Amino acid sequence: MTSNVAGSNNRFDTSVNQMAIAGVVLALCVYVLMFVINTTMVQEMFGYSRQISARVPTFFMRMGVLLVAIAAGFFMITGHSYYKRNKLAVAPWLFLAIGLAFFMVYVIIPIFQSISFSFTKWNGLYDINGDWTGEWVGLHNYRILWDDPNFWTSLKNNLIWLVLFMLAVPIGLFIALFLNQTVMGIRIYKSLFFFPFVISQVVVGLIFAWAYNPEFGLLSEIWGWFFCDFKENIMGNLSRVCSVDPPSILGDANTATYGIIAAGLWPQIAYCMILYLTGLNNVSPDQIEAAQLDGAKGWKMLRHVVLPQLKPATFIAIVVTVIGALRSFDMIATMTQGGPYGSTNVLAYYMYDQAVGEGVGRYGYGSAIATVLFFIMLVYISYFLYRMYQDEKEGG
Amino acid sequence: MFPKPIKNYSPKAQLAYKLALPIALLLWLLPLLAIFMTSIRPVSDIAQGNVFGIPSSFQMLQNYGEVFAKTDAMRYLINTLLIALPTMILSVGLACLTGYALAIYKFRWALPLFFLFVAGNFVPFQILMLPVVDISVKLEIINTVPGLVMFHAAFQTGFCTLFMRNFMKALPFELIESARLEGVGEFQIFWHLVLPLVKPAIAALCVLIFTFIWNDFFWATVLIQEDSSLPITVGVRTLNGEFVQQWHLISAASLLAAMPPVLMFFLMQKHFIAGLTLGATKG
Repeated sequence: MTSNVAGSNNRFDTSVNQMAIAGVVLALCVYVLMFVINTTMVQEMFGYSRQISARVPTFFMRMGVLLVAIAAGFFMITGHSYYKRNKLAVAPWLFLAIGLAFFMVYVIIPIFQSISFSFTKWNGLYDINGDWTGEWVGLHNYRILWDDPNFWTSLKNNLIWLVLFMLAVPIGLFIALFLNQTVMGIRIYKSLFFFPFVISQVVVGLIFAWAYNPEFGLLSEIWGWFFCDFKENIMGNLSRVCSVDPPSILGDANTATYGIIAAGLWPQIAYCMILYLTGLNNVSPDQIEAAQLDGAKGWKMLRHVVLPQLKPATFIAIVVTVIGALRSFDMIATMTQGGPYGSTNVLAYYMYDQAVGEGVGRYGYGSAIATVLFFIMLVYISYFLYRMYQDEKEGG
Repeated sequence: MFPKPIKNYSPKAQLAYKLALPIALLLWLLPLLAIFMTSIRPVSDIAQGNVFGIPSSFQMLQNYGEVFAKTDAMRYLINTLLIALPTMILSVGLACLTGYALAIYKFRWALPLFFLFVAGNFVPFQILMLPVVDISVKLEIINTVPGLVMFHAAFQTGFCTLFMRNFMKALPFELIESARLEGVGEFQIFWHLVLPLVKPAIAALCVLIFTFIWNDFFWATVLIQEDSSLPITVGVRTLNGEFVQQWHLISAASLLAAMPPVLMFFLMQKHFIAGLTLGATKG
């Protein structure tokens, strides 16, 4: 009995000590973070000459102190008797703390900030006292948006992207069916077909920009087999003479968007294909055999037996394709930069252009465009979450 | 198996299929092949209209060497590594923790918070862009590699949490229950019991995140203007402006930028595909 009391006393003492030390460390860290570390101090300490190079060491010093503070915080909480009594209620929050805080600061809160920026006129700058220089303008940005032909072009292009990008799903399925065999080397074929997805969209954009080049691109070469001849001119050089000039796909406002979408489809088809290949791998052979006994084959088999089993793959394929279509930015930035004459703008690119590109510093207007794009995306996100919620309820 | 296995068809059909495979592949990868051919031919070929024929001489080493010699390609590549690797470690590490909290503990906020991570993962980048620039300016990390890493790590934590949580949800819960009954601490359970079990998920996520970040273009253009901190994707586009009409160099630089993710994919194919197709089979 006595030893038991003494033991618990001891434990009480150590936890109080632990908490006191951790508390002091935490307070010290907060003080250092708030008042000691800044770029000027680092600059003086290490003699960096430029503001920009002092930033990185400052960042690392701050992170170091922050880590110590976090560790101290954890010791304080886990040392407390409340934690010991309510482990299962408190522990998940400790596991979540850093990741959630990080995600909140960089993803969730900015969404609301952007929406609030959209009601202001601001160029992204602060005055010398660090005060915000913008002004509140209510719905003004949205009114300009309504009358902005570029906005409607972008919205229309977004719609074209959405519709045409969907082709990736059936084409992906088709290629997956084509490759779902067991012959020698099929695994290598599958991975090579998947190849375009791994390459950065910037590179895909450059490849296609070059392929579309009317003078020496891939397309003009193929065009040449049908419409062009090589003739020797007076100087004795070979020159190409075409009965119909090859089209300049990216240079023509009517075709440029379709050219970019075609380029975007290439990796997206590869992605859908791999989703379907995995799905086909898991189609139950029993059901197929049963259907075969019933005389189903070909298209009927695909439609009534296989596709229903591929539903999860189809769902994911559609989700990633919609998101890919609405996020299209890299290719437009590399292939046309919204041109010619703004004809290939989509909301994502137009927003960027207005906020930090050509428009330079129309933060409020850019945010209004982003907000519109966000609410379009929100429709799909809500649907996706609803579907996930249904799955969770079923799964328990 | 669907479609019907090819070996059940006539020998002629089998032969046709085996011939169709390489032809289809050739057509599928034609743009890539063409750009590879361009990257190994001398500049004079292109001027003379020999864009697709046999190169008059093979200049692979010269062309690629020229890219490194004439430009900052090497620094761009190193920057990309400095961005991709820390992001990978941070986001996968944090997601192990958050995923564990959301999968193993039954508390009221588990599902809403999980959906918050999932939803955040799908928002358009543009809605985050200006506030993220603003935060980076205030934290004095704009234009620096750590600044980009911080954002990427936070954003990718969403995707990784989605993945990790679902993976951990499938673990046998009795294992954790019995460890708790034995009096093992919560963190010990996580570290010694659960982490070893989710190694495949960690591997899959690492490969995916590395590729995603390597290929990122948007955030690099937004958060970095300083030439010395640019990653390769932005670098390649800048080179595109510098090498006007020098297609042999542009294509060499492009392929250089595409190489590491491709290698990663071929080396870690199983993990890569497992990561991408998560959810495509269940239900």
